[in-house]
Amino acid sequence: MMSKAKRSILYWIILAPLVVVILFPFAVMFVTAVRPRDELFVYPPTWGFSEFRWENFAEMWVKTNFGGALLNSLYVSITATSAALILSIPAAYAMSRYRFAGKGLYKNFLLMTQMMSPIVLVLGLFRLMMTLGLVNDLNSLVITYAAFNMAFTIWMLQSYFNSIPRDLEEAAWMDGASHLTSLIRIFLPLAVPAIVVTAIFTFINSWNEFVLALTMMRSSEDFTLPVQIYSQVAGRYQVEWHHVMAGTVLATVPVAILFSWLQRYLIRGMALGAVK
Amino acid sequence: MAQSGLSALCLLPVATAWTLETMAKKAHISIPMLMVLPSLLLATGIIGYPILDLAWTSMQEVSRFGKLQGFVGWENFAEVFGDPLFYASLWRTGIWTGAVVAGTLLISMPVAMILNDDFYGRGLARVLVMLPWSISLTMTAVVWRWALNGRSGLLNATLMQMGVINEPIEWLAEASTAFTVEILVGILVSIPFTTTILLGGLSSMPQDAYEAAVVDGATGWHQFRYITLPLMKPFINIAIVLNVIYVFNSLPIIWVMTEGGPANGTDILVTYLYKLAFRFGQLGKASAISLIMFGVLLVFTLLYVVLLSRNEADAAPEDEVKGHDE
Amino acid sequence: MSSVTIRGVKKRYGAMPILHGIDLEIRDQEFVVLVGPSGCGKSTLLRMIAGLETVSSGDILIGERVINDVPPKSRDIAMVFQNYALYPHMSVYENMSFSLRLRRQAKEIIDRKVREAAEILNLTKFLDRSPRQLSGGQRQRVAMGRALVRDAEVFLFDEPLSNLDAKLRVVMRTEIKALHQRLKTTSVYVTHDQIEAMTMADRIVVMNAGRIEQIGTPLELYDTPANLFVADFIGSPSMNVIRGVLGAEAGRAFVELPDGARLFVPAMASGKPGQKVVFGARPEHCALAQGDAGVAVQVEVVEPTGANIQVYTKLAGAPFCAIFTERHDFRPGQTIRLDFPANKIHLFDAETGARL
Repeated sequence: MMSKAKRSILYWIILAPLVVVILFPFAVMFVTAVRPRDELFVYPPTWGFSEFRWENFAEMWVKTNFGGALLNSLYVSITATSAALILSIPAAYAMSRYRFAGKGLYKNFLLMTQMMSPIVLVLGLFRLMMTLGLVNDLNSLVITYAAFNMAFTIWMLQSYFNSIPRDLEEAAWMDGASHLTSLIRIFLPLAVPAIVVTAIFTFINSWNEFVLALTMMRSSEDFTLPVQIYSQVAGRYQVEWHHVMAGTVLATVPVAILFSWLQRYLIRGMALGAVK
Repeated sequence: MAQSGLSALCLLPVATAWTLETMAKKAHISIPMLMVLPSLLLATGIIGYPILDLAWTSMQEVSRFGKLQGFVGWENFAEVFGDPLFYASLWRTGIWTGAVVAGTLLISMPVAMILNDDFYGRGLARVLVMLPWSISLTMTAVVWRWALNGRSGLLNATLMQMGVINEPIEWLAEASTAFTVEILVGILVSIPFTTTILLGGLSSMPQDAYEAAVVDGATGWHQFRYITLPLMKPFINIAIVLNVIYVFNSLPIIWVMTEGGPANGTDILVTYLYKLAFRFGQLGKASAISLIMFGVLLVFTLLYVVLLSRNEADAAPEDEVKGHDE
Repeated sequence: MSSVTIRGVKKRYGAMPILHGIDLEIRDQEFVVLVGPSGCGKSTLLRMIAGLETVSSGDILIGERVINDVPPKSRDIAMVFQNYALYPHMSVYENMSFSLRLRRQAKEIIDRKVREAAEILNLTKFLDRSPRQLSGGQRQRVAMGRALVRDAEVFLFDEPLSNLDAKLRVVMRTEIKALHQRLKTTSVYVTHDQIEAMTMADRIVVMNAGRIEQIGTPLELYDTPANLFVADFIGSPSMNVIRGVLGAEAGRAFVELPDGARLFVPAMASGKPGQKVVFGARPEHCALAQGDAGVAVQVEVVEPTGANIQVYTKLAGAPFCAIFTERHDFRPGQTIRLDFPANKIHLFDAETGARL
C-alpha cells in the first residue's frame, strides 16, 4: 500500500497535463483581456506584455453593448429557470410520490426530450416561433429553454425528492396536517436545497445556450452573451480580441465560480438519479 | 435570503397543484396526472410539434423565405442522398463522434478512478476537472479560436517559447489540422460530464468486494479487470451512449472555430444543416437532414432506454422490497 | 380512548391480494400486537387503520364510527414509525408540539403538555436539540413523545424498535409497556419479533400470508397453538416437530416415526389410528428419561448459556433441540433418552397443520 502522500504526488503528476490544458484557455482569456491593443498581433507571438490595461474592460463594456447583452442573458435565464421549476416541481413530486397510469411512459418521453438537442429541431422551432410571432423576442428563448431543461429538472428534483422519506409526510398527516399543510410545512422546507441546486444548474444551462439564441435573435440589441461575443468574432475582418476576451472573462468567471461551488451536488444527483 | 425567496417561488406550484386537485375531482383524472400535465404540454408543444412540422416541411418544396410551395414527396430526401457534401459531412460526423467519445472515455476512466480515491487536494482536483463544464461551448470555442490564431495565438507562443517549433503553425487554416484540434477541444469539454457519470458509478462500488479480492490475492490490475470494469460496465455504457448523443449534436465548437470551413473541410451534419437552413435558405433539404438526424438520435435514445431499463431490472429486487414496504 | 373494530377487511394492490379478509376486535385500553413474518400483511393492516392505505373492502371502525373514508388527520390516531419520521428541520420541542400547533391549541397548554411528555420520557434536557444530534434511543423517545402529547384515541406502532440495538430494544420494550400501563391508551403494535409480542401484548394476533392464524393472550398461544405455523412462530428456540403416523396398542396411543421409534402420547385427541400427524414438543419441555423409557436421540452439539444447556440432537434423522436447566455433562456423539410430560405434548394434523 502506498502512503497517502506518495499517492497524492503520483496522482497530481498524472493529472498535471489535463489540468494544464484545462487552465490554458483561462490563462489565454486573462492575458489577452488585460493586454494593450497594439500588443495583440506581435511577431513572434509571446505571453509577455508591457502593462495591465484594466481599462479594456470598461472600453469593452461601452463599445460592445455588453450591459445590454448581460441584461438579456439574465432575463432569459432567470425567467426560463423559474418557468422550468414551476412546471417541474409538481411533476417531480407526482413522479416521486404516486403510482399512476402512464408514469413509465412519461419517464421515457422525458428521456426522449432530453436526447433531442435544439440543433436537430432548430428549423422547426424557428418556423414555430415565426408563426407565434416570437422571433426577435427574448420570450421565445424563455419558452424553449424551459422546455428543453425540463427533463433535467424533473429528473434531478425527483431523485432528490425520493431521498426525502415519505414517512415524514405520513407522520404529519397523523399529526393532523392536511396534504397541503404537510407539503408546505414538512416537504418544501426539506426540498429547498434540492430546488436551489436544480435552479442554479438550469440557470447555467440557459446562460450558456448558443444555437437557439443565435437563430431566434436576429437583431443585435436582443443578443444574449454567447451570441454577442460570437458576433464579435464571426465574419469580421478585424477582431478586437482584447475586448472579446474581456467579455468572455466577465461572462464566464462568475458562472465558473458558482459551478465549482455546486459541482459536488451534481455528482450526488447523478449518483442518485442518473444511472439508477 | 435566496432560500426564502425561492421557497416563496415554490408556493406557486403548490397553489396550482391545489386548484388542480379540485379540477381533478370534477374531471375524473387522477391528481398526479394533473401535476404532470403542464410539463407534458410544454414539452409536447416545443419539442413534439417541431418534429411534426419538420416531417411536413421535408415533403414540401420550400422557398428561401420559408413559404411552402407544394408537396414534392421524397424529392428533398433524394436531393440529400445525391449530395456529395452530405456524405462528406456524414463521414466526418462519424469520425468526430467516434474520436471524441473514445478519447473522452479513455481519459475520463483513469481520471474518475483517481478522483474517487483519497488523496491530498482531491477537492481542488475535482473542481479543476469539472471546470470546462461550467463554461459555454461558445466561449470555450471563441477562446480556442484566438489561442490557435495562426500568427499571434498563444498556443504558438507557448510552443515557440518552449522551443518545440520555430515557425508558428496555422492551426485553423487547413481542414485536417483544424478538424484534429476541434476533436481535441471536443474531448476536453466532454471529460467533466463523463467523469461525473463514472464517479457516480465508482462511488457506489461495494468496498468489501475489493477487500475480499485483496484477501484472495488480487493485484491492482486484477481488481480493475475483474471487479471495477465489470461493475462499471452499465455506467460506461451509459456514458458512451449519452456522449454519442451529445457529441453528434454539438454545433458550437466547430461552428465558432471554423464554421465548417475551410472549403467545407470540417463540416459535420449539424454545421451543414445549419448552413443549409440559415445561410443558403434550402429549407426543404435542411428539413430532410433534420429528420434523418432525428431518426439516428431516436435509435440511440432507444438504445439508452434499453440500457437504463436493463440496469433497473438488475436493481429490481431491491425496488420490490421498497415498493411493498413489508 | 376507543376500541378498534376490523370487519372483513381486504386489501389488493392491483390484482395482487395482500389481505384476504381480516376480522379483529381490539378492545378499549387493550395492547394488541400484530406479529408475523415479513410480507404477512401486518404493516399494511396497521397503515389501513392509520389511513395511509385505502381499504379495498370491509370496514374499519374506531369506537362506533366507520372510518374507511376519513383522512388520516381526522382519525385522532397517533403513530410511531419504524424510522421514527422525526421532522429533521424542527427541534425536539417543535417535533413534539407540531400536532398541537396544527390544532391551534393555546401556547401554555402546548408547553405544559410537551414538558409533561418530555418529563415522562426523560427528554427534558434535549428539547432544544435537533433530531440529528440525538442517539437512536433518544430519537425513538421523541417519536413516542410526539404521540404522547396528543391524548389520541389510539396509538399505532410500526416496528418501532427494529432500528435499535438488542440491549436498547429490551429497555425500550419495558418502557413502552410501562407507559401503556400508565396511560391505558388502546394500542396496536406491529413487529416481526415474537419475543416483543410475547412480552408486551395483552393479546397477540399472529398473521401469515394475509390471514390471521390465531388470536390470543401470549400464554394461550404458547400453550395451545392453533396450528403448526403458530407453534413454530411462537417460542424460541422453536418447537421441535416430527412427522409420524398415529397408532394405538394395548390402549396406549403413540406416534410412530419414520424409523419405527414410538413416541407415546396421552390420547389421540380427535385423531384416528393411521392418520398422518406432526408431533410437537418445545425444547424446554424435554426431560431426561429414566431407564429405557422415552426415545433415544444422538447428541450433536451442546451449547451452555449459563442459565441452561441447549442440546442439539437428531431424532429419527430430524434435528431435535432440548433445553435443560439442570447442568448435564453431555458430549457430542453420546446417546441420551428424552421423555416428554404428557400435558406438554402437541399434536397436529400433517395435512392441514391444525391442532388435534
